[in-house]
Amino acid sequence: MKFKSTLALAVGAAIAFSAPPTVAQENKTLKVGALVTLSGAGASWGRGMLEATELAASKYNEAGGIEVGGETYDIEVIAYDDSYKANEAVSAANRLVYDDEVKYIIGTVGSAPILAIQPITEKEGVITMTLGFTSEALSPEKPYTFRPNLTTAEVAQPQIDWVVESQGIETVGALFPNDETGEQIAKDVSASYERAGAEMSAIEFFERDQVDFVPLLTRIMSEGVDAIELDGNSPETAGQIVQQARDIGFEGAIIRTGGPATAEIVNVAGAEAAEGMFVHAGLDPSKDSVNAYITEYEETFEHSMNGFSPFFYDGANMLFQAMQEAGTVEDTDAVRKALESIESYEGVLGELSWTGEDRYGIAHQIDAPFYVAQVRDGKEEIVATCDIEGCE
Amino acid sequence: MSFLIIQSLVNGVILGLLYLLMAIGFTLVFGIMRVVNFAHGEFYMLGAFAAYFAFAVAGLPYPVAVAGAFGGAIVLGAIIERVVFRPFRGDELSGMIASIGLALILQNLALIAFGPDPLSMPSLVSGAYNWGGIILPKSRVVVILGSMVILAIFYYFLMHTRTGRALRALVQDREIAAAYGVRVELMYPLGLALGAALAAMAGAFMAPLFGVSPFVGGTPLLKAFIVVILGGLGSIPGAVIASMLLGLIESTTSTFFGASTADIVVFALVIAVLLVRPSGLLGHKEA
Repeated sequence: MKFKSTLALAVGAAIAFSAPPTVAQENKTLKVGALVTLSGAGASWGRGMLEATELAASKYNEAGGIEVGGETYDIEVIAYDDSYKANEAVSAANRLVYDDEVKYIIGTVGSAPILAIQPITEKEGVITMTLGFTSEALSPEKPYTFRPNLTTAEVAQPQIDWVVESQGIETVGALFPNDETGEQIAKDVSASYERAGAEMSAIEFFERDQVDFVPLLTRIMSEGVDAIELDGNSPETAGQIVQQARDIGFEGAIIRTGGPATAEIVNVAGAEAAEGMFVHAGLDPSKDSVNAYITEYEETFEHSMNGFSPFFYDGANMLFQAMQEAGTVEDTDAVRKALESIESYEGVLGELSWTGEDRYGIAHQIDAPFYVAQVRDGKEEIVATCDIEGCE
Repeated sequence: MSFLIIQSLVNGVILGLLYLLMAIGFTLVFGIMRVVNFAHGEFYMLGAFAAYFAFAVAGLPYPVAVAGAFGGAIVLGAIIERVVFRPFRGDELSGMIASIGLALILQNLALIAFGPDPLSMPSLVSGAYNWGGIILPKSRVVVILGSMVILAIFYYFLMHTRTGRALRALVQDREIAAAYGVRVELMYPLGLALGAALAAMAGAFMAPLFGVSPFVGGTPLLKAFIVVILGGLGSIPGAVIASMLLGLIESTTSTFFGASTADIVVFALVIAVLLVRPSGLLGHKEA
């Protein structure tokens, strides 16, 4: 442990104080774009992705550069902010592809931005690594797009199967915001519970600015449900639902399928009301590699790490490895094929491979371990380890 | 079924009382200053933050936190009346627009100072009273009792003190009140300060129920606005009736027909009242 933190400190200090590399004057430059959200909503995700890329690049640069096909390159990360907007992403993509002439882009954060830049990046053969949750981001017609993080589509079913079986849940109630997103999630989640052998017996929709859920919860509880599902609600709303459900005496299970939000939910609901909740967890903090990454990240950048960051650290490293295996940084078609063929990559998150042939028609979706956690004293405690096939 | 009806009525009364604390301050400010104060929700938000810092961070007793929110809002409200609203006296439209600007400024200052993430306000009590199957969440009972004490004090102040009478006189007719020696220059800041303080105390009370973040003021403002439109701008008895009505309608229709239906019924009622009685249930016609 001591060794690790000393090492991390040394790397952090090295990054902080490094002068432009003088030993590697003859190195060529490998430009990597980071087209992420750095302002407004989604900025914490974008920052986590950018800094993961910088951290991965700095590892190679510290060691004198990355060797590809007999040449040594210094990796330069060029960052642009898309403000989570499709139109700004397009102008940034134009600059990255045509002015900066990058062949690799880490980004975008949002679904609309990735769909907006794909006509450029796919046409020019630029490899992108997006966080965007939309199922349309990956398809056989878009062979240069990869997604190094899990989405709800991957994690929902295994988690729901596990919770339903282990808790003996038969009926589930849920509240969703009354809009397009809420209705879509309601449909997906209901189907998942049905496949798991439970019934979504009470579904309520509410307007997004609502803060009092007691009447709706009264209605749901009068149906006698075994559990309440919170997927599709903002962390703040989810926290209010948890607190108010416990306030009016709901004793069944509370389940949060989907994105990382535990800390915020506990903040709003209070540790006591959130006790025993089942949540999705992307990271296992008891894993040494995860811990080391978090420590190094926080020491390097001096702020807390977003949960998606390690996915992009691993993703960027897989990309660099693919370049080395393909022996080229110019021929992105060869790099793409090398990236596709990486299997059982040992990353920070554990063993990583590509999947998604069935769901998207192309295996460009990361297959990473994830977890079901239960809230204990306001903290996540891993109770099941999952992959796309299932949990145990 | 009858159990559900009683439960939803109980929920509705609780909800109505929560809305009342917010609406009284809003209607008072309108009655005295003729300003539709869109910054009212932000005083709620500041009160919630004040309670959070006093209670959750500094560890002071909860009543002290509420009193702190009250005191802070009195001072802030008086200053704001002096700086922002005084130039717009008698100019309802400009005053309203100034209040929207003030709301934006306060909310964004809170965003800069406290960040966008919801903060953790610990509950005072947890669990529920169960009376023959009718459930009363203890946290709400505490809020209701607190609100009733405050409303009782406020009622006494307004009805039985010299200053309260002066404020009421001002609501009824500014010029006559001034002619009878009501000190308008003191009463205006006091009116806004009291309105702000009621909102801030509502925020302090409801922080454990609905959370603390720079954006918590929006919903209570909307509810207060509906209550005051229904009850009549400036009418305190109207606010009492309208907030109970709103709470009961929201609770029963949500429980039996769903949340979207509740919104439809509430706004249909608002439109109907505006058509039949444009000045609200107990409002006075404009002179």
